[in-house]
Amino acid sequence: MTEAHVRVKNLRKTYQTRNDEIEAIREVQMEVAEGEFISILGPSGCGKSTLLMIVGGLLPLTSGTVAVGGENVSKPRRDTGVVFQAPVLMPWRTILKNVLFPIESLGLRQDDYIDRAHELLEMTGLSGFADNVPSELSGGMQQRVAICRALIHNPNLLLMDEPFSALDAMTRDLMNQELLRIWEEYKKTVLFVTHSIREAVFLSDRVFVMSPRPAVISEIVTIDLPRPRELAIEETPEFNEYVAHLRGLIEH
Amino acid sequence: MANSNGNKTPFSVASQIGGPTAIFFVMLVLWQVIVIVLKVPQAILPTPLVIIETMAKHWELLMIHSWPTLSECLMGFGLAVVVGMGLGISLAFFPKFHNSVYPLIVAFQVVPKVALAPLFIVWFGLGTLSRVLLAFVIAFFPMVVNTYAGILSTDPLMVRMAHSFSANRWTVFCKIEFPNALPYIFSGLKIGITFAVIGIIVAEFVTAQKGLGYLIVFAEGNIDTPLLMAAITVLSIIGVALYAAIVALEKLVVTWDVGQDLH
Repeated sequence: MTEAHVRVKNLRKTYQTRNDEIEAIREVQMEVAEGEFISILGPSGCGKSTLLMIVGGLLPLTSGTVAVGGENVSKPRRDTGVVFQAPVLMPWRTILKNVLFPIESLGLRQDDYIDRAHELLEMTGLSGFADNVPSELSGGMQQRVAICRALIHNPNLLLMDEPFSALDAMTRDLMNQELLRIWEEYKKTVLFVTHSIREAVFLSDRVFVMSPRPAVISEIVTIDLPRPRELAIEETPEFNEYVAHLRGLIEH
Repeated sequence: MANSNGNKTPFSVASQIGGPTAIFFVMLVLWQVIVIVLKVPQAILPTPLVIIETMAKHWELLMIHSWPTLSECLMGFGLAVVVGMGLGISLAFFPKFHNSVYPLIVAFQVVPKVALAPLFIVWFGLGTLSRVLLAFVIAFFPMVVNTYAGILSTDPLMVRMAHSFSANRWTVFCKIEFPNALPYIFSGLKIGITFAVIGIIVAEFVTAQKGLGYLIVFAEGNIDTPLLMAAITVLSIIGVALYAAIVALEKLVVTWDVGQDLH
């Protein structure tokens, strides 16, 4: 294997409060290859979102290094796309204009990306909604717009911070399937934060299990299930073995 | 409030305007009847018809005095909008500036600004400047507070989203914070315009040079109550028209569902 796409070394993160220092992340090591789908799984409040935000250059680290494509991350990178817990669409913009927002803020030429925006919207089943406003879309559809927005500038690293946690179970299953379809199509490296074990197993090549705060990576589990995956895979004994194994790891 | 019901059919718009209009005319009729039946002297309360007659008779006089009131009101309001929004934005941009200046602005708001009118005459004379400045100091506060509150109400996650796409401070302000603040700014404009009208009228009472406020004081001095009421009517029409213009502009600009960005 050549240089890892994402490399996290001896990462430590502490927060300073008024009279105390809170250790959010004690020590994390990670190596992620180009095109890998990685889930970061852990209980709520374990610092997994913090880890993702540090990789995205949106939070400073306390010590250690985070490198993407061999370069140390100190601010948001132009070749990274982030999907947050909420869609955070601008209610005053149409869906198309929301998808094109990164093009504006990155200072790129909008005309060059309009076709791509339409292509992404079509890919996610939203082609008829380009001129609608966000309030006319359901929660699942809004989060799909957020995924299109994160992909519009053709990043090679996609960071997803519990993107489907606010959705109902059925929508969530559909979104997971759709996400895999998009991933098969574009083959980006994905770091996907979740506290759902099934979601992590369904989506990932490897699952990084995080301990409760102060966080360390307690285990790395390789998910050796065939691709492309359909929802039916969740009924197989192999799938459920992984789920049981991961549950055992988290409960300790 | 203006955006509370999203899908307005022509029928619901008609019923929205129809109700108040009907009640308004019923009240005018009642007023007319009561004044005639009770034989209220004209100097105390003229009937609506007399007021309309007076408006027709003194139309030119009323117009001569409406123009300075309207133009000075717009000048004071415009100044309040520019300075108020500017200050509101600065407060949101610079927390240290906010910490040291905001308490002073609030303290100043407690001063009944109408009481400053005589002082303004001493400082700036009996002319336009005094009147415009009084309208300005009254209309200024809602502009500052609403602009500031609007920017502050921006969803921090949306700002983080923008940062994730390398947005700089200026982009975040122009593309996120400012549009987000627009519904609040329009609330400020609606309060500000009514305040500006109050400011001009009070200033015209005191400076007694021209304008509808002056005409009101003048008519009162002559116990010409019909003219007084005619001037108040024109003044009310101006006030409603200015307010309606801002509401119309708001409908053009704030087209999205405002409840949406407040979650």
